[in-house]
Amino acid sequence: MTLHTLKAMFDPATRVDHAIQAAHAFQPALNAMVSFIDPQDQLEALTHIDPSAPFYGIPVALKDLVNMKDTRTTGSSKILDNYISPYDATITRKLREAGAIIIGKASCDTFGMGGTNKTAATGPVHNPYDLSRMSGGSSGGSAALVAAGVVPMAIGTDTGDSIRKPAAFTGIVGLKPTYGRISRYGVIPYASSLDHVGCFTRNVTDAAATLKVLAGRDDKDMTSSTLPVEDYPALLKGDLKGKRIGILTNVIDSISNPTVRTQFEALVEQLSAQGALVTRVTLNDALMKALLPTYYIIANAEATANHANLDSLRFGVQVPGADNEETMRLSRTAGFGPLLRKRFVIGSYALFVENQERLFRKAQRVRRLVVEDLKAALSQLDVIIAPASGGVAPLLEGGPKTDELSGEYLIAENYMVMGNFSGYPSITIPMGFENGLPLGINLTAKAFDDANLLDIAYGIETLTGLKNLVAKVNA
Amino acid sequence: MTYETIIGIEIHCELKTRSKMFSGAPVTYGAAPNTAVNEIDLGHPGVLPSLNKTAVEKALQACMALNLTIDPLVRFDRKNYFYADLPKGFQITQQFYPIGKDGWLDIETDQGSRRIRINRLHMEEDTAKQYHLEDASWIDFNRAGVPLVEIVSEADLRSAQEAMAYVDKLRNILVYLDVTDGKMEEGSLRCDINISLRPEGTSTFGTKTEIKNINSISNIEKAVASEIARQTALLEAGEAVEQATRRYDDVAKTTVMMRKKEGSVDYKYFPEPNIPPIRLPQAWIESIRSKLPELPDARHARYKGLGLSDYDAGQLIQNKAISDFFDQLLPLVKSVKLAANWCLGDILANLSQDQLTHRTYALCLSELAAMINALADQTISSKQAKEIFGHLVEGKGYAETVKALNIVQVSDTSVLAALVEEVLNENPQSIVDYHAGKDRALGFLVGQLMKKSKGQANPALSSELLKAQLATRKPQ
Repeated sequence: MTLHTLKAMFDPATRVDHAIQAAHAFQPALNAMVSFIDPQDQLEALTHIDPSAPFYGIPVALKDLVNMKDTRTTGSSKILDNYISPYDATITRKLREAGAIIIGKASCDTFGMGGTNKTAATGPVHNPYDLSRMSGGSSGGSAALVAAGVVPMAIGTDTGDSIRKPAAFTGIVGLKPTYGRISRYGVIPYASSLDHVGCFTRNVTDAAATLKVLAGRDDKDMTSSTLPVEDYPALLKGDLKGKRIGILTNVIDSISNPTVRTQFEALVEQLSAQGALVTRVTLNDALMKALLPTYYIIANAEATANHANLDSLRFGVQVPGADNEETMRLSRTAGFGPLLRKRFVIGSYALFVENQERLFRKAQRVRRLVVEDLKAALSQLDVIIAPASGGVAPLLEGGPKTDELSGEYLIAENYMVMGNFSGYPSITIPMGFENGLPLGINLTAKAFDDANLLDIAYGIETLTGLKNLVAKVNA
Repeated sequence: MTYETIIGIEIHCELKTRSKMFSGAPVTYGAAPNTAVNEIDLGHPGVLPSLNKTAVEKALQACMALNLTIDPLVRFDRKNYFYADLPKGFQITQQFYPIGKDGWLDIETDQGSRRIRINRLHMEEDTAKQYHLEDASWIDFNRAGVPLVEIVSEADLRSAQEAMAYVDKLRNILVYLDVTDGKMEEGSLRCDINISLRPEGTSTFGTKTEIKNINSISNIEKAVASEIARQTALLEAGEAVEQATRRYDDVAKTTVMMRKKEGSVDYKYFPEPNIPPIRLPQAWIESIRSKLPELPDARHARYKGLGLSDYDAGQLIQNKAISDFFDQLLPLVKSVKLAANWCLGDILANLSQDQLTHRTYALCLSELAAMINALADQTISSKQAKEIFGHLVEGKGYAETVKALNIVQVSDTSVLAALVEEVLNENPQSIVDYHAGKDRALGFLVGQLMKKSKGQANPALSSELLKAQLATRKPQ
C-alpha cells in the first residue's frame, strides 16, 4: 500500500489506530518497538496542516536514535533508558510539518553500532518472514515494521549499511541519500562523517516522496547541502533505456550462494533487454578487502568521542559516586555493554598519539583511495549495482559461524560501506526470494544524483514487480 | 648565581558575541545559573555545532592587530577528555590549524621597546564553571560554549614587569577592538603564565611551573615576582623545581600548589567531522581589515601630535572608555591640555567605568566643553569650574549653573580699576617683587583681587589691568 492509497482509504485517526494496534499485535513476535507515543496531540495538530501534505495523517516510526521533543529516546541503550528528548530533530520537525503521525521509536543496535540488532537493550528484532531470523541492523526495528505492514515509512540511519542491509533482509526499499542531503541534527550519532539519515518504504515512489520531505539545507547541520531539493517523485520515469549500469564484479564473484548469483544475472539480462547499457566494473580488490577494518577504525574513533557526552551528569541513568568523576565512571561502566566498551577501546586506541598515524590517519587515507576508485568507476556510469547481501537474513541463533576474514564476508557482506565512505546515494530494493525469504539488490550513484538513482531503482522495481510486499507475520 | 627568567603566556579571552561559539544560546555574565543554555551547550544526544560567524570575525580582528598570519581555511578539531565541566566530553578547538600564527607584539620596558613573538591564536569554546563546595560540586553551564580565543606567546618574556606589560598591552588592544570586555576579575580574560629559571648564560630550559587564576593586571607582576623568588630560593638551596600548576594567593601574596603535572595527557585530537573546512573569502577578510578600529599605539601617537605629553597620552589610552570620552570632547574644546586634565581628573573621579563604557552618565559633553572653554578663556577660575562641574555631572547646563550659583563675572573696568588700586596700595612689597622679576607676585596680586571681589572678578581682565597699573608704579 503506497502513501497515496493509504491516504485515500481511511481517515487519519483510523489509519493511525490501525498502525498502533498492529505494532502492539506484532510486538511479541517481532520485538520491533522500544517506545510507543500517544498520537493524540499530533492528530489534533493536524488541524494546522494542509490535508494535501505528503504525510497528512500517515503513521510513521522513528529509529530509536531520533529525538522528538518530550518523548523517550534511548538509542536502544541502557544508559539512556530514562532519556526524554528536550528537543526535536530537524527531520522530526519536517515530518510533523508534512502531517506525519509518529507512533513510536523502533529498535536498533545500541546507538546504531551493529549489523544484527542483537545489541539492542530490548533484545533482538525478529524477521517478519521468519521469526528465527534477524531483520538485520542496525535499523532492524524500522525495517521490520515496514516489512510487516505496520507503517508505510520508517526512519532509519545508515553508517555502514544499516538501512540497506535490513531492507534486503526484509524485502523492502531502503534509501540512504547523499551525505548532506538530509540533516542529521537531533539524530544520535554513531560516526559523524559516515552517518546518514534515510528511510524504509515498501516502494520506490514512497522513498522519493519521503526524501523530498526530509531533504534540504539545515543551518543546524553544517554538513548539510545548500543544493536545491528536487521533486524526486515527479522525476520518476522508470525508463532504463540508455542508463549506464555497472555490475560490481568484486561482489558478485565473491558470492557463493547460487540462487543469489542466478537471480542477479537474470535481472542483469532483463536490464539489457530494456536497453540499459550494462557493463562490468572491477574495483581494487585489495581496497575492497580493506573496507571493513578501515570502517571499524574510523567509525569507532568518531564514536568514542561522539558518546563521551554520555556521562550521566546532566541526563541518562546515573549510578551515583562520591564525586562527579566517580559518578561518570560508574555510570558509564554500568550503562554500556561489553560490545560498546570494546568499540570505544578500539576507537581510543586508534586515536592515541603513538597510534594515530598508523591507524586513524592511515584509515582516512585508505578511505580516500576507496572513494577515488569508486568515483573513477562511476564517472562513466549512472549506477553501480550488486546483490545487497550474499544470502538471506541469517538465523538469530545457531547459524553457521561466519568466517569474518573470508573474501565473501569482507566484500559481499560489507561493500556497501563504500556509500558511507563516499557519501554517495545508495538504495536497496527487493530482488527476489530464496525459500520464501527476501533478497535485495543495491544501487549506488554519484553524489547528489539521488533523483537519477531513484529513477533507475523505480525502473527496476517496475521490471521485477517486487513492490508493496507485506510479510505474513506468524504472530 | 644569577638566573635568567623565561616566561611564556597563554591567554584565554572570551569573545564579545551575542551568542555562543557553536549554539544560538545567549552569552551572558551574571545571569542565573543554567539559564543561558540550550541542548547544544549541555551536550544532549544528537546535537551538532554551527559556527558563530561573529566569533570568527572577532578572532580575525585579533589576528590582524597582533600581526598574525591568517589561515583562510578554517578547520576545527576535537580535544577529548572527560571532565564534569565539559558537556560533550570533548572540546571543539583548533589544534592542527590555528586561524592565526607567527605574530608579534611590541611592549615598552625599562630597556625600551621589546618585540614579543606570538606563536598562535586559535578559536575554541569555553567550558562550564564549577563551584566546589564542602560536600558538593555545582556546575553552571552558562559559560559552556562561550566563544574563546587562546593566544599563545613564545617564551620571550624575561621579567615580571614584562609579563605584566605584555598582558596589559594585549588586553588593551583586544578591548579597543571590541573583541572582548577583557575583565580579568570576571574571568573573561584569563592567563596561564609559564615560568622557569636557568643560570644566566645557559641555553637549556629549567623545569617550569604554570600559574593560573590571576584576577588582575597588577597581580600578574606580583604573582610572577613571587614565583621567581620562590624558584630562585629553591635553586639556591640546591633543590629542584617541581613541574606543577600553581595559583596566586592574593592574601598570602605567594603562589600555591594546585596540582602536580604527571606526564602529558593524550587528548586524542582529531579533525571535527561535523564542521567541514571553511574557506574564508579574501574579500571578507580584507573588509574586516579595512574596518579595524584605531588601536592604542596609533591613538597614543595621535594624542602626542595634538600636543599632549607622552605621560598624559599614555594615561588616556590606558582606559579606552575615558579615551573615547576625550575623543568626543576634542572637537568641542579650545584647549586639548585642559580637556585631558579634566578627563584624567574629575571625569574619572566622578563617573564610573561602567557609566563611561555604556555612556549612561547625565553629564552633557557640550556643557562640559562650555565650561572648559570658559576656563581656557579665564572667564572663570579653576575653583569656580570645580563648583560648576558638580552641577554639570548631574545633568545641569553650564549657563543655568553659572546663573544659579550667582557666579557673576565682573568685567566692568571701572569696578575692577578700583579694586586694582586698592590691592596695589595694600601690597607695596609685591610691586617691588614684581619689578624684581618674581613671577609669583602677579599671581599673588590676582589672588588678592579675586578675594576682594568674592571670586567674581574676571581673572584674565584683572591680570591685564594689574599689569598695566604695575607698569606705572615702577619703584624709583
